[in-house]
Amino acid sequence: MRLELRTKFIGGFVLVVGSIVLLDFVVQSMGIPEFWWSDAVETLAGILLGMFLGVGMSKAFTGNVRVLTEGAERISDGDLSRSIRLGHTAFPDETEDLANSFNSLVESLRKLVGRIRGSSDTVANTADGLSSTAEQMSVSSQEIAGAIEQISLGAETQAEMVERSGRAIKEMATSVDLVAAAANKLANSADETASTAQQGGDNVRQAMASMKNVLSTVEASGQKIVSYNELVQRIGTIVDVITNIAQQTNLLALNATIEAARAGEYGRGFAVVAEEIRKLADSTGESAGEITQLVEQVRDESQKVQATMADSVRLLDGGRTAIDTTGDAFERIIDMAVGTQERAGQIAEMSLHQSEQSDAVVRAIEEIAKITEDNASATEEVSAATEEQSASMEEMARSAMELTDQARQLMESVRRFKLGTDQE
Amino acid sequence: MDQVLTFRLENELYGLEVDRIQEVLQSPPLHYIPRTPPSFLGSINVHGSPRTVLDLARFLEFAAEVRDPRIVVLTPSSSSLAFSVTQLERIVPLDPEQVFPRQEGAAAGSCIRSVLQLEEQMINLLDLDLLLQRVEEVCETGGAP
Repeated sequence: MRLELRTKFIGGFVLVVGSIVLLDFVVQSMGIPEFWWSDAVETLAGILLGMFLGVGMSKAFTGNVRVLTEGAERISDGDLSRSIRLGHTAFPDETEDLANSFNSLVESLRKLVGRIRGSSDTVANTADGLSSTAEQMSVSSQEIAGAIEQISLGAETQAEMVERSGRAIKEMATSVDLVAAAANKLANSADETASTAQQGGDNVRQAMASMKNVLSTVEASGQKIVSYNELVQRIGTIVDVITNIAQQTNLLALNATIEAARAGEYGRGFAVVAEEIRKLADSTGESAGEITQLVEQVRDESQKVQATMADSVRLLDGGRTAIDTTGDAFERIIDMAVGTQERAGQIAEMSLHQSEQSDAVVRAIEEIAKITEDNASATEEVSAATEEQSASMEEMARSAMELTDQARQLMESVRRFKLGTDQE
Repeated sequence: MDQVLTFRLENELYGLEVDRIQEVLQSPPLHYIPRTPPSFLGSINVHGSPRTVLDLARFLEFAAEVRDPRIVVLTPSSSSLAFSVTQLERIVPLDPEQVFPRQEGAAAGSCIRSVLQLEEQMINLLDLDLLLQRVEEVCETGGAP
C-alpha cells in the first residue's frame, strides 16, 4: 500500500505523540505512584519511543535515499550497467518513483550511449575508410597528374610531329604534282617516239627493199663480170699463142739472118727479108705483149671490180643485217614507247589519285592538328582539374582525419559509460 | 758489112760476130755433165751432135740469175760450145768506124776485144778466141769457175 512521505511523517509524528499520551494514561491507570522521577521516566520513555519509532520509520527512507544517491553517483561516474534497486518495503513512496525515474534515465542514457558508441564506431570506420580512400585517390590523382603531364608532353610532340607530317605531306603532294606533270610529258614524248619509230620502221622497210634490189643488181653484174673474165682469159690464151708464134718467127728470122750472113753477098737480099720478118715478128711480139699487158690490166681491173663487188655484197649483207637489226630495234623502240606511254599514263593517273589522297591526308592532318591542340588544351584543363581534385582530396583526407579524431574523442567520451551489456 | 748478134750479160751489152754463130735455138733439155765447173750447165743435142752449154754470164763472173731460154750455138769450126746468156737482143751491123779499143784498165780476163758504139749504146765485142782459150784452161785445171 502506497504511503506518501508526508503521510508517513505525519503518521509517525502522530504515532509518537499518541504513544506518549497513551503511555501517560497507562501509567495513571496502573496506579503506580508518582515519583519525583516519574516525569523523567515518562520523558525518557517518550524520547526512547520517539527515537525508536523515528529510527524505525526513517531507516527505510534513508536507506532508499542512500541507494538513490549511490545510483546517482554511479550514473554520474558513467556506470549504466546496473539499475537502482530499492529494498522491498510494504509501503513504497516517492523514492520508489525517483528510483524508477533514475532507472528509466539510465535506460535511455544506455540506449543513447550505445547508439553514440555505434555511431562513433561507424563514423570512425567510415572516416578511416574515407581517409584511406582519400589517400588512394590522392595517389591516383598524382598518378593521373603524372600521366596527364606525360600526355601533355606527348601532345606537344604529337603536335610537332603532326606539323612536320603536314609539311612533309604537302611537299609530297607538290612532288606528286611534279611527277604527274613529268609523267604527262613522258607520255607525250613516248607518243612522239612511237610515231617517229614507226616512221623509222617504214624507212627501214623501204631501205631493205632498195637494198635487195641493189644486191640482186650487184649479183647480176658479178655474173656478167665472171663471163667477161672468161672472155678475157680466152683472149689471153690466143695472145699467148700469137706471142709464141712471134717468138718462133723472131728466132727463125734471127737464124735466117745468120744464114744469110754466112752466104755472104748472095745472102744479102735474104738478110733484108729476114730482117723485115724479124721486125714484123718483133712488132707482133710487142703488140702481143701490149695485148697481154692490156689483158692483164683488164684482168686485174676486173678482179678488183669483182673484189669490190664482193666487198659491196658483204657490205650490203652487213647493211641488210644492220637494217634488220635497226628494224628490230625500231620494233622494240615502238613496243617500249607504247609500254612507256601506258606506264606514264598509269603514273599520271596514280599520281592524280595520290594527289587527291594527299589532299585528303593534308585535311586529315589539319584535323588531327586541331584535335591535338584541343587535346593539349583539354589536357591542361584536366591537369588543372586534377590539381584541384588533388587539393580537394588532401582537404578531404585532412577532414577525414579530423573526423576520425573527433570520432575517437567521442568514443573516448562515451567509453567511460559502462553499459554492462557489452564486453567493456 | 759484118753483123753482130747482141746480148746482155746481167746489164752489160755484149756482141758476137754472126759468122762465128751456127744458129740460135730454143733450149732443148739439158743433160748434166758430171765433174765440170759450175758454169757448165750441161750438154744438148744439136742436129745429132752434142754441144756443151756454157753459162757465159757466170763464167765471166756476173751476178745474173736470169737466163734467156734461147741458146746461141757456135759454128763447129770455132768450137763445140753453145752459150747461154742473160738476154738475147738483136743483130746489128758492125760499122768499123764506130769500133773503139777497149777501155784502159779493163782486165784481160774480161775477154773484151773492142767496143762498138751504136746509137748511144756501148757494145762490148767479145774476144771469142781468148774466151775459148780461158775455157780450155779452166777445163784443164778443173778449177772454178
